[in-house]
Parts: sequence; C-alpha cells; structure tokens
Amino acid sequence: MKQMTIISGKGGTGKTTLASNFIKLAKNHIAVDADVDAANLYILLKPTILQTQEFTGGPIAYLKGECINCGRCEELCRFDAISDSLADIKFDNLKCEGCGVCEYVCPADAIGLKAEKQGEYYISDTFYGKFVHARLDPGAENSGKLVTIVRNVAEDIAYRENKELIIIDGAPGIGCSVIASLNGVDFVVIIIEPTLSGISDFLKIYDVVKFFGIKPFVVINKKDINEENRQKIIRFCASGNTEIIGEIPYDERIPFNLANNTFAVDDTESIAGKEIKNIWEKIISLEL
Amino acid sequence: MIISVASGKGGTGKTTVSVALAQSLGYCNFYDFDVEAPNSDIFLKPDINHYQKVYVKYPYFIKKDGVSFKACSDFCHFNAIASINEDYIFFEELCHGCGGCILVGPEGYVREKDAEVGEISKGFKSPGIYFFMGNLKPKSMRTSNIQGDLEKMLDRNQTVIIDSPPGNSCSMVNAVKNCDYCILVTEPTPYGLSDLKISIDVLKNLNKKFGIIINRDGIGNKELEDFCRQNSYKILLKIPNDINIAKTYSKGGSLLEWEPKMKDKFLGIIDEIEKEVG
Repeated sequence: MKQMTIISGKGGTGKTTLASNFIKLAKNHIAVDADVDAANLYILLKPTILQTQEFTGGPIAYLKGECINCGRCEELCRFDAISDSLADIKFDNLKCEGCGVCEYVCPADAIGLKAEKQGEYYISDTFYGKFVHARLDPGAENSGKLVTIVRNVAEDIAYRENKELIIIDGAPGIGCSVIASLNGVDFVVIIIEPTLSGISDFLKIYDVVKFFGIKPFVVINKKDINEENRQKIIRFCASGNTEIIGEIPYDERIPFNLANNTFAVDDTESIAGKEIKNIWEKIISLEL
Repeated sequence: MIISVASGKGGTGKTTVSVALAQSLGYCNFYDFDVEAPNSDIFLKPDINHYQKVYVKYPYFIKKDGVSFKACSDFCHFNAIASINEDYIFFEELCHGCGGCILVGPEGYVREKDAEVGEISKGFKSPGIYFFMGNLKPKSMRTSNIQGDLEKMLDRNQTVIIDSPPGNSCSMVNAVKNCDYCILVTEPTPYGLSDLKISIDVLKNLNKKFGIIINRDGIGNKELEDFCRQNSYKILLKIPNDINIAKTYSKGGSLLEWEPKMKDKFLGIIDEIEKEVG
C-alpha cells in the first residue's frame, strides 16, 4: 500500500481539483481530505457518512478552584495566556497551549486542564470509494493532530480492505497540518502555478519535502499564464532531478465543472481534464 | 483602525486585495501574517531595511550518572521527551517551549537555548507604507510564534492592513483577532462558498464586523451571491475574472497596475469601513 499527498505551499493552485479527479480515476484506493479547516473534497465526492467521531484537541487551562491572586501562573506562562492574576484572573483560550505549567505552579490547586471538543471526523462512503474527512471547529487549534487522526483511520481501512493507494488532499502552507500530511507518505505531487508568488511558496514546500526525504513530482497548473516563470520552474526542477509529470493549461472549464458538480476528467471539452488523465496514468506507471 | 483581509480558501486574492488597499491608501502599516507562505513583498516591493530573527526556547538536558529526567517526561503534555533510566530522547518538533521540564526536572540539569524559527522583515515603500512580513523557516512548525512577534509590532493608532493566512484555524484567528473589520475575499465556486461559511463562523465567534469581496466574478455560479443576499452580508466589491489580471499577478503586478481606476474603489471601501467601524 502506498500513500500520496497533494500539496502546493500556496493556496488555490489546484490541489483539490487534482485530488478529486485522481480519486475519480483511481480504482483501489482510500481518499483523505487533510485540509481540515477548509475542507472541500466532500463537495464533489458527496459522501454518505457511515461513522462520525468526536475530535478533542489538546486540553486548555481553566479556573477550577479559588484563586489566591499570587501571580505565579501569569509570571511563568510563556504564551501570555493568563492575565490579571493579581486581581481577577483571566485565561485566554486562544493563546493557551495546554502545557500545564500554571496547573503545576498554582499553590492553591485552583487551576485545572480540560480537553474540549474541537471538531469531528468521518468515515464515509462515496461513489468513488471510501473517504475519510474531518471538520475542525471554526478557529480551533490542533489541526495537525486532527490530520494525523484521519490519516491513521484511513491507513487502518486501507490495510483491512487491501487497498493499494491512499490519496491525501493536503492543506496550503508549510506548517503543522501540512507536515502531518507528509509524515510517512511515499511520494508527493506538488502543484504550482507559474507566478512569482507560486514559485516563492513552491521553494519553501520543496525544501520541507526534501528534508523528509519524500520523492516529489511536480505539476505546473495554468502553464500558459507566464512563460518566463514556467521556464524558471522547469530549470529548477531539472537542477534537482525532480520530474515534472504534467503541465495543465489554463482552462475555464475547471470552474465550470466545479459549479456543475462534474469532474474535469469526464468533460471531453476540458483540455485540463485531458492532461490530468495523462498525469494520473504516469503516476500509475511510475508508482503503482 | 485595523483591517484584516482573510479567506478560508487559499488563492482567492487575499494578498491581491490587501496590497491594493495599501497602495490605494499610500500611508499605512502593512503586516503579512501569512508567515508560512508570505508573498506580499513580491507585489508591494518595499525596501527591506531590517531583519529581526524570531527565536523560541528549547530545553537541553545534561546527562549525568544518577540524574533522571523521568519527571520531565511525566510532566510534558506534548510527549516531547521520553525518559529511559538515565537516558532520554528529546523530540524538538513536539516541544512547545513552555519551560515545564525546567520547573519539574533535576535542578541545573535542564537548561534552555534559543532556536531560530523564522524572521520578520521590516521595510518601507513610498510614499508612506511601513511594511512588516513574517517568514516561517521551513521544517519549523512555530507559525504562532512568528505571528505573536508580529502582533507586538501592531500600531493601533495607524491605519493597519493585515494579510491573513488561508484557512480557518488558529493561524487565521491570530491574523483577525485584533482587527476592527475583516474583509473576506472569496470566489463564486462551491469551494469558495463552503470555506467562506466557516470563516464567517470564526468572525461571528470573535464578534467581528466583516464584508465580502468576490474575486474572479463571472466564474462558477450564483450561489455565493444568493447566500450573501439571503443573509444580508455586504458585498464590498466584485473583481472580474480576467486573464489579464492573472497575467499581471504572475509577474508580481498589483491590481492597481492592471487598472489604476481601482484605486478609487478601494478608497471607497475604506471610507465605508470607517463609517461602519465608527
């Protein structure tokens, strides 16, 4: 069984479009949406939820007893999450990381830690195979932890049902949830646009992928919007022996298909859809 | 007044809008809070005159016969240290730098050192834009530390524009929690609408005023506009879907370089926001 993550650094470059079309073409796979705070894969896959689980993130501090206003917790909190401990103690839930230092130092045993529900994750059935996805509560922390959980669930199903591939739709950026979506995967597809900002973010995510020793394949999306930048990407990939496995042309059929709940690879008029099919066949021949 | 520009979905035009706002104003403070993938410098082209490193504290453990770090390992809520007899394994990527292990561990044998997790670049763009951009070092996961240092540099007495990271999790909250008004940029596709709804939930939880800018107007469908109308959400502006905007963008050109007349529209938006914020 192999695992593949689709990432980009920059947002909105086509991760979910690529992932959903791969899922449509794949035969023996599990799909995972690892963009837990702005999940979109469900829109095209139209899942029927089989199982819902509660996600509790890390615990945070709260006042459980009588504060004696000693100020010790505020002094030692590294995250500025406690204020006014000399008058009317306040906890900032957005800043608290749940380290437990305040609980430990409180001489009055007045502080506790409790975990709260921060989201849900789901095992679903779709017309295109099993799908594991999640919804992080708006504004919540611990997205990396939730990504790790949905991936573990998907791995269990994949082993049990003898699937040969897990297709993971990643989040933008290079932070904790992206790193959680890369941990232990066999290869990644980095999808980038030939824009200066796209290249800047690509170089950062490329660095992360190389650090983890994961094999990257590159897809250039909207390849025709800037030839000079396209050449820059080609030169960069050639110098690092990174294969560009496809170049998707700018195609207004992509948002059209999305708005009509159809897949680009099923649209005979979509030149982008045709290229995505070619990319998928290359991935199969190289990796599966 | 602080205006944040955010969007659940990535690539909808947050940086495009925030840069256009700053250029239209001419005099303001600009903060790029998208520290994992900052790009505003490409479009605003400030002269960077100062780099400030961002450090977090990590513990290190001094091994000695008879000294055990079991107390540290028992305490650590992030499982960043495992202790086996007198030996230990420290997982730097799990450490939050809370300092708990120093409090509970054998005195003098747990110490701290600074580790660089990124930097903040400061610059200036004429006529009067003060520029601050956070940049997370690849492989580091301390997004919130960079944002925290940026937050300390916010000046409420100025007109402030904050370019937020994509998404609806804690890093987006850090970029909007100080604002007086949030502009949500989205596109008229099911993806754009789905992520917009979550962003609105975040802003409502934080009691923030907000308005919506629709980018790439003309693609997708009308569901987004229907949704805004039904809920009486204000649409501040529609930016047309135009391949020339994409081409200008690809070269690092801003919306005002594509169409200088956009300046008046953005100044109109600022006026409107000022009235609403009061």
